[in-house]
Amino acid sequence: MERSIVTQHSKIEELLTNMEKVIVGKRDTIELTIVALLAGGHVLLEDVPGVGKTMLVRALAKSLDLDFKRIQFTPDLLPSDVTGASVYNQKEMTFEFLPGPIFGNIVLADEINRTSPKTQSALLESMEERNITVDGQTMALKQPFFVMATQNPIEYEGTYSLPEAQLDRFLIKLKLGYPTEQEEIDMLGRTTSVHPVDKIQAVMTQEEVIDLQQQVTEVHASNAIKEYIVKLVHQTREHPMLELGASPRASISLMRASKSYAFIQGRDYVVPDDVKWMLHHVLIHRLLVSSEARFEGRTVASILDEIANKTRIPMERG
Amino acid sequence: MRLNGNPAHPWVSILLYIGSMLLLFEWIIPLEIVTDTDYVHVFYLFVAYCFLLTAVAMPAWVRSPLKLFGLLVVMDVLFFDARFMSTSWMQQFFADLSINTERLSNRSWMEFTAPFRTLLFLILLWMLSYLLYYWFAIVKKPLSFIVFTFVYLTVLDTFTEYSAVWPIVRSFVIGVGVLGISHLFKLAEAERLRLQSFRVLLKWLTPLIFVIIAGTSIGYVAPKFSPQWPDPVPFLQGTAEEGFSGIGFQDKVQRIGYGENDEQLGGGFIADDTTVFYATAESSQYWKVETKDRYTGKGWERTVEGEFATGIPGEMLALEAYSTTVTRESGQSSIQLVEPGNLNKLPYRYGTASFRDLQVEYNPVTGEVKSPDNLPGEPYNLHVEQPKFPLEQMQKQVPKMHGVPEPYLQLPDTLPDRVYELTEEIIAGKENRYEQAKAIEQYFSRNGYVYETKDVPVPDDDQDFVDQFLFETQRGYCDHYSTSMVAMLRSAGIPSRWVKGFTGGEVTQQTDLAEGEDLTTYEVQNNNAHSWVEVFFPDVGWVPFEPTVGFSNQTDFMAEESPESLEETNEPTEQEEQELPEPELDEGPEEQQPEEESGRENVESASDVSGYTLLKWGIVIAIAALIIWVIVRYRFRLMSYWKKNKLQRNHDQESFTDAYGFLLKLLEKEGYAVENGQTLREFSKKVDRLTGNADMSELTSYYERAVYREENLESERERINQLWSRIVRNLLAK
Repeated sequence: MERSIVTQHSKIEELLTNMEKVIVGKRDTIELTIVALLAGGHVLLEDVPGVGKTMLVRALAKSLDLDFKRIQFTPDLLPSDVTGASVYNQKEMTFEFLPGPIFGNIVLADEINRTSPKTQSALLESMEERNITVDGQTMALKQPFFVMATQNPIEYEGTYSLPEAQLDRFLIKLKLGYPTEQEEIDMLGRTTSVHPVDKIQAVMTQEEVIDLQQQVTEVHASNAIKEYIVKLVHQTREHPMLELGASPRASISLMRASKSYAFIQGRDYVVPDDVKWMLHHVLIHRLLVSSEARFEGRTVASILDEIANKTRIPMERG
Repeated sequence: MRLNGNPAHPWVSILLYIGSMLLLFEWIIPLEIVTDTDYVHVFYLFVAYCFLLTAVAMPAWVRSPLKLFGLLVVMDVLFFDARFMSTSWMQQFFADLSINTERLSNRSWMEFTAPFRTLLFLILLWMLSYLLYYWFAIVKKPLSFIVFTFVYLTVLDTFTEYSAVWPIVRSFVIGVGVLGISHLFKLAEAERLRLQSFRVLLKWLTPLIFVIIAGTSIGYVAPKFSPQWPDPVPFLQGTAEEGFSGIGFQDKVQRIGYGENDEQLGGGFIADDTTVFYATAESSQYWKVETKDRYTGKGWERTVEGEFATGIPGEMLALEAYSTTVTRESGQSSIQLVEPGNLNKLPYRYGTASFRDLQVEYNPVTGEVKSPDNLPGEPYNLHVEQPKFPLEQMQKQVPKMHGVPEPYLQLPDTLPDRVYELTEEIIAGKENRYEQAKAIEQYFSRNGYVYETKDVPVPDDDQDFVDQFLFETQRGYCDHYSTSMVAMLRSAGIPSRWVKGFTGGEVTQQTDLAEGEDLTTYEVQNNNAHSWVEVFFPDVGWVPFEPTVGFSNQTDFMAEESPESLEETNEPTEQEEQELPEPELDEGPEEQQPEEESGRENVESASDVSGYTLLKWGIVIAIAALIIWVIVRYRFRLMSYWKKNKLQRNHDQESFTDAYGFLLKLLEKEGYAVENGQTLREFSKKVDRLTGNADMSELTSYYERAVYREENLESERERINQLWSRIVRNLLAK
């Protein structure tokens, strides 16, 4: 699929350039991360260790001057390790709430599939609700709140794969992938005494991010676009090779992501190209290929391609 | 170089432009032969000069004066003696110009002076240098010019003495080369290849060069069909004069009229209403000119020359040796020759006894009557003793081959046996010579032979004229019927000969010839030229017969008593004097008389009417087809005007959607359809890549704003209209 890689929005272009100083040659991924951030969604990164997942999140947090927290998920991690817990303060004779890492702006949930479903759901529920209840007390999470979860594609012993219902909560699923040879050489050149991530400066404030998020919600999606989104999502439900189609939440997500992408492109309206481009990233983790189709070598990506290529795009005002 | 217009492929443009110049040379080369143009090399030089100037980058205000200068230099070299650009030179030049401007305004095209014609030609070459630059180097669409070149060369080859054998080969090599290069360029454009250096281009061109060489050699060596028409010029001329009323392919078209040479009969002819003479008579008569005796298998010759005798004015001539059994009736005629054309003898009617006021040379054997001096300009008067042939005498049993010398029984050895067999079949059961002759005379009309003047072939070298008519074509005109009847009569041993002359002609108002006395004046045209048959009956003489369908025998036969053999076909009530009707004619006997007068015309006009209706319908259908074709062919063009107007008039969303939708349809017609799942952006990029600009993307961005942003683009309307019109114009120009 062709699309312009040039971002139109100046502020976001600045952010992108800043992050590119750290992450080499992954402009698409960076852009999609920003799409998810501005759409108020979360990102699931599925990749092998060592390709720079953490660095991506750190670069983002540093560029935005946001509070960055990291949770390393292990099989023995407890929900309270994520959310925080009330601790008795002997001096003051009261229970005092010690906030967990989830009370950050940008949370890296590393190797999310290595922990127990109980702990996983503690995180995932908070992602959706944007607040958290501990000991009967409901506390709002910080704004903006952006979770970036990573999982290893290789099936390790003792991993708990995320159920479909949980995956649905991520707006976008990404892969970083290995860098090209040249990019890797560049990368080696940069990794000198000071890591590049320590050298970059914040280019946006917390308020600005919240403001941009607000602007994204105001991006216009015409009836024609809505019709197109619904058509695409319906196709996934009717496709014979898909065991599980996309939910209505997927439709909403696709529209939000498309708006956000349109905004990054410097437009205040969505065009079908936005939807078509976001389709893969928004739906890829929400669909399940039937076992026969898998046997035939079909993947979700190929089926999404097929759907995108056969769905007529509404070209008149709806 | 200006040819760097497309910096990626300068060599392509240069090669194409050179190719176009070479093709233009092929246009100039024949001029030397066809139009007697001298100094052709000067024109080559001028063309090369114009092409060079067009190719080199310079502003138009420099280029045009340079070309004009070149043009004037050529004029100077060719026509003017005075020093170039001197005052007298200027005077000459402008004097010539003013003379011709006047002629131009008078539309006296043919009177242009040579300098002026040359000037116009040079201006044409100048314009062509630009046009070809545009076609070849800029839009890279050389096909039409190449096709025109071929048409030009083939037409010249066909219609003039110019031989286009090598020019065709040269044009083929240049044309295919140019097409190959332009196609390569288009591929390179589409695939975004870069053919930067000439070396790279040459590498690409190697297979093309190989193919051209191979194709040319094979084409040159391969056997070729001989031309469909040995010489198409007469055919086209005939067609042009006739209007396209159904002339088929034929070998020979001639104009009707009296001719001396009958050695090669057949082929179609066209009408000619030139008046040959006016004649008066009591009733419509056949006007006889001469007879011929020898049938060659192709036509007629004369072997028995006979001797000319002198006829003193007013004295009885021994022109026709009728026996005393033939009764006579007095009559008179007056003939005024108008435009005799090839006719160098005097026409007369049967029974002419004397030329009242003219001394003539006459030949009783061949039936020719000549005037010793030139043909008379004044009317000449005939005294006529009209013969009435005695049926009874004619119906007597006569042995075969009885009565006259050998020549009138001659037949070529090549006459196929089936002619003899057919004759035997026809005359089977007929007992006497008269009935046999009558049976043969009537055979044609009874067996569906068709009167046809146009679609008539000439027999092949190894084909007998009569045989072809009787068994193959079964259509023809008088020569076919009369010749066939003579051949058949002779094959049955009946002496007969072939007569040439004219039919009666049309009644006309011209009365100054008629001297009272119930005489009618007839106008005899070339269209009335005719041939018929005379059969010899012992004790009677030579009796005329008319085998041609649509014509009737005007001979008077007199029956003394009711002959049994005629009872079947004749009225039971016998009259003393009767005319034998043509049994096959639709009209009854009472309508026979007018039919006789205009028999030929009727037949002709009948076929003309059907031809005319066909023609009319053909034209109507052709025009309708043309209109439909124009509408279908130009529907997008026509619609584009409409949509453009609408777009300019209404600044609403609907007209924009409509216009954009039309553009998509137009693109679809050009082969660029929006595929399913293709966004407008993707589509526009593809289109722009093909057209080499960004118009479509820009227009699409407006359209997206209209559709997906639901914006009213009032302020952008002008730009939208401009973009839309430009894209549509470019597409339609393809």
